[in-house]
Amino acid sequence: MDGKQEIIETEIAMGPVHSAAIEPYRVRLFVEDEIVRDAEITVGVNHRGIERIMEGLPVEKANSLTEKVCGICSGVHLWNSVLVAEKGLGVEIPERASYIRIIVGELERIHSHLLYLAHGNEVLGHETFSMRLFYIRETVMELLRLIGGNRVQYGVPIIGGIRPRADLDEMKIQRIGEGIDLIEEKLEAFAERFTSDPMIMSRITGVCPISRKDALRLHVTGPTLRATGVDLDVRREMPCYDPFEFEVITQDGGDVRANLLMRVLEIFESVKIIRQALRDLPEGKVVDRSWEMQDTGIVKSYVEAPRGRLYHSYAIEDGRVRGSIIRTPSMSNIGAMQYACIGHHITDAQLGIVQCDPCFTCTDRAIEIVDMSDNPRR
Amino acid sequence: MGLKSFSRARAVHAMLVYTGGCNGCDIEIVNAVFSPKYDAEQYKIFLTWNPREADVLIVTGPVTKQNEEPLKVIYNAIPEPKAVIAAGACALMGGVYKNIHGDIPSEEICGPVDQVIPVDARVPGCAVRPEDVLAAAVAALPKLLEAD
Amino acid sequence: MDPSYSAVTVLGTLILGLLVSLWLPGIERKFVHARIQQRIGPPLSSPGLMAALKFFYKKTVRPSSPLPGLYNSLPIMGFISALLILLFLIPPMYSIGALASLVAIVGFLKIEEVIYVFMGSLSRSVMSMGMPFPDLARGAKYPDVNRYFLEDLSSMRAFRLIAFGSFPIYLAIFVPAVLSGSIFLKDIVAYQAVHGPVIFTMAGVIGAVVFFIGYMILLNEYPFAILKTKADVIEGPYMEYAARYRAFVYITRGFLMFTLGCLFSVLFLGVPPDILSWGILVNIAVAAVLPVLMAIFSAFAPVFTFKQFYPVTVAASVLGVLALVTAFV
Repeated sequence: MDGKQEIIETEIAMGPVHSAAIEPYRVRLFVEDEIVRDAEITVGVNHRGIERIMEGLPVEKANSLTEKVCGICSGVHLWNSVLVAEKGLGVEIPERASYIRIIVGELERIHSHLLYLAHGNEVLGHETFSMRLFYIRETVMELLRLIGGNRVQYGVPIIGGIRPRADLDEMKIQRIGEGIDLIEEKLEAFAERFTSDPMIMSRITGVCPISRKDALRLHVTGPTLRATGVDLDVRREMPCYDPFEFEVITQDGGDVRANLLMRVLEIFESVKIIRQALRDLPEGKVVDRSWEMQDTGIVKSYVEAPRGRLYHSYAIEDGRVRGSIIRTPSMSNIGAMQYACIGHHITDAQLGIVQCDPCFTCTDRAIEIVDMSDNPRR
Repeated sequence: MGLKSFSRARAVHAMLVYTGGCNGCDIEIVNAVFSPKYDAEQYKIFLTWNPREADVLIVTGPVTKQNEEPLKVIYNAIPEPKAVIAAGACALMGGVYKNIHGDIPSEEICGPVDQVIPVDARVPGCAVRPEDVLAAAVAALPKLLEAD
Repeated sequence: MDPSYSAVTVLGTLILGLLVSLWLPGIERKFVHARIQQRIGPPLSSPGLMAALKFFYKKTVRPSSPLPGLYNSLPIMGFISALLILLFLIPPMYSIGALASLVAIVGFLKIEEVIYVFMGSLSRSVMSMGMPFPDLARGAKYPDVNRYFLEDLSSMRAFRLIAFGSFPIYLAIFVPAVLSGSIFLKDIVAYQAVHGPVIFTMAGVIGAVVFFIGYMILLNEYPFAILKTKADVIEGPYMEYAARYRAFVYITRGFLMFTLGCLFSVLFLGVPPDILSWGILVNIAVAAVLPVLMAIFSAFAPVFTFKQFYPVTVAASVLGVLALVTAFV
């Protein structure tokens, strides 16, 4: 990438099924004496054609389909898709529904970041810490099951508000409060233990850094971008987050240590937001069904997914979805993954790929325009 | 039971293969092994990533076109006796990706898992619950114990 | 000594060693790793004994390798060389002069390490390059570069480990030789019967610590598991072993743990493994305690890359040299 001609000796390929990857992708590392000189990541193994399936489905059905895009950040896909419909149809949702959606969104951010930390520790070779983080994550999964009914893919937002069964009563509010207190306490103890361990710190400090300039050039988004020092967060642009106060965390250096610490601090911020939401939860109904279906043009919506800026857009025609496009944050981060590995040992390069939080199931999309006879894929 | 069946029941090595799909089931299965709350090792089920060491293959996801050949190659690399568990709605009937427009077949999915390799135990759910995966591993055991 | 007694001693100790070593992986996994990770672990017999038995009953497949016969015989060679180390530690065998000496033990340990290099270069698993994936499609980067398997990477790392990773254990093994003035095991045991165990001297204490570090490097345990880390090489040199041969891999690992424990007991405590005396209990105790200590240390450590491996090995070697110098003085 910087124009120098280096001698590439060998190639090591790691296939779709590999012990360090929780999702199928193919990476070819071009090494010389175990130092990576170049990398090539091939996605497309996970392509299921969701946008094509969504073409022509009724709007509510298409919304609940978008939840199946990813198993880790499922709620935020549904939320964004519902926001597109609401923006297009001009639906106003009650405040209580907005607060509950934010609680679910932040709980999902917590569990996604905990999974990232656990997976990072597993690639480091530290099974003990990985298991401890999975144990902390169980609390969040049980809270999500309490609210939505399922541990993964809970389906809380619908057009006009939230599902009435997902409403919070006294018992649930108290349980959520206790749950997040427990998470905060355990995670603080864990973070102290983690950062005071010299073996781990020597393994992650200075490994696979991404500079601020390169991050902006490679269109990195989300926590990976904030770990290099750039202060961008979509949550500040979303009107539903206005009543809450939270800080946007940034770190310096963009290496593995910055990324891991970044996620831990973001979990604490999410806990703060959930506490504020539980304290100020307004009364009222949770769904507003007084909207009518009409035709809209293409409507776009952005949301801060746990991995970055998520974009959905579609048009509604005769009650059905037309021309939907989903662009997930991991798609922008692929360039950074390839770039971060360069110049490091192979085992560190695996850490470099994991640090950018890959979620390749979100990434495999195809853009298909129904009027043309061949399918251009992007 | 003889020493053969007894030893096969006391140490089961399971390999996980993800063939596309939303990966919700994979995380739940990894949860079943790595999370101290469910801990599959106490039931003598060890997780491995090497087909030559495995007895049981757990497959999740609808088999996408690019994953069909790797799945077959991995299945053939496992020595006998072996059992296959298909976990999740995608692995059982293609999930939401197959035939959602009625009779028009999907072009991206190679069909549920039993069109590609033979399946012995089936776990429903979207995503599967970790308790159900452990129950499926127990249900697939008789095929291993009775094989010669 | 009466020849029939010596035959009973030798065979009995070997069989006892085999039986005890089948329970060592279970102790490591259940009593140490599972307690630290706050879970109930597997039953004691599962990871060692039952796993090996189960693998014996699987159907053999032909490994995907250019020389399958040689590849399959390598774990058996590893098992035999561990057996030979234990054989020459037993007292009736001390009369065979040259082979019951430290130089022979160093040679047998070297065989164990060289085997990894051969295993890695002969293994062509499906999980790395052999996966049917359209890599060299149009637009791929560097389509005409050499493509290596993951196990080749592992064998290159094993090569480096032979060069510098074996210093700690060799230096530690020679500390009792310097103290007792001879490299023959007979003399080392006799010296300790007169002067007390080597571990009670200053040189002995430092030597024991260096032995422990070398023990972890030889067994490829975390944090020194760069040979078979799950992060990039999935299982390293052992990828293509199936059925019987994998059972040998499992048995050899436990047996090597037992043998190295007995070696520690002979060299640093002066108690040889003799089934007809109470010394055998000391040997079994040491052989059980060392893996427990190793497991406690490895549960809290990540995998070291070469950036951290070199300094740790250099520090251990310097300590070893210090022990030798202290032993001279």
